[in-house]
Amino acid sequence: MGQELYIKIEVIAEMFLLRPLDIFVRNLVKQLPAFSSDQDTVDSIELAFNEAYANISLHAYKSGVKGPVQIEIFVKDKMLEIRLEDYGENFNPAEVKEPDFQNLGESGLGIWLMKQFMDDLVYESGECGQNVLRLIKRIPDQNMSWSVGCSG
Amino acid sequence: MPKLFWQGGDDKFRDPMSRAMTGESNMEIEKLEGVTVISTDERLDAMIAPKLKQMVKKMSEEASTKLVIDLGKTKFIDSSGCGALVAALRTLLKNHGDLKIARPSPQAKTLFQLTRLHRVFEIHDNLDDAIKSFDK
Repeated sequence: MGQELYIKIEVIAEMFLLRPLDIFVRNLVKQLPAFSSDQDTVDSIELAFNEAYANISLHAYKSGVKGPVQIEIFVKDKMLEIRLEDYGENFNPAEVKEPDFQNLGESGLGIWLMKQFMDDLVYESGECGQNVLRLIKRIPDQNMSWSVGCSG
Repeated sequence: MPKLFWQGGDDKFRDPMSRAMTGESNMEIEKLEGVTVISTDERLDAMIAPKLKQMVKKMSEEASTKLVIDLGKTKFIDSSGCGALVAALRTLLKNHGDLKIARPSPQAKTLFQLTRLHRVFEIHDNLDDAIKSFDK
């Protein structure tokens, strides 16, 4: 199946952009027919994006001036992918410890939550040394066409 | 008792949507039957979590603070929001106070169950029940 959607946003990873971007992603996901009546999945994808962006802003660019983040959203081949690229400090998600649920801390849940809520989470280095985080959600076998558009 | 409003931003006259978009938030505080109630805004996220922690820290200077955090208006909570609630509970317990949660949204309930926080917090679906639970 051909590509159904591609959106690219480039911003400086400032925290004040967290909510506008989050609300944009949420509303976009809600337009997908496969998710439009699935509030839980919309909540899950919003939360995963929120955690990913906040991690970049607060941790990857924790020291000094914030750097760029590129956000790409694809719907292709029965998958929704949100890809975030930044040039901040990298980290290895495999080294991120499972939260201690007997004594839950005030932080350290973000990566774990992303893993819980998405079907796949890929963290890799890009060609220019950037950090690439891919949040992937499979789209159930349904009509993948957009609710708004030209049906020709 | 008059309600107190905590303004998160400098410009209190901006419209609610622009406040929400930039992370400014009103958290409403009132005292009912000797219990302090903080009603959080639509979102309890990384933008507002530090402010909530700061508020509770200040409140806990008074010993034995009874606090309800009313999530009735809060549609979205993230890991930072959960972290702020955990921090609030710890701060209060240290000073012989306590914290109850009221009216979590379905999204908040899902998150609390997933992170087992439903075992850490006393959660009520009704604000009155949360307030009265301090009498028991």
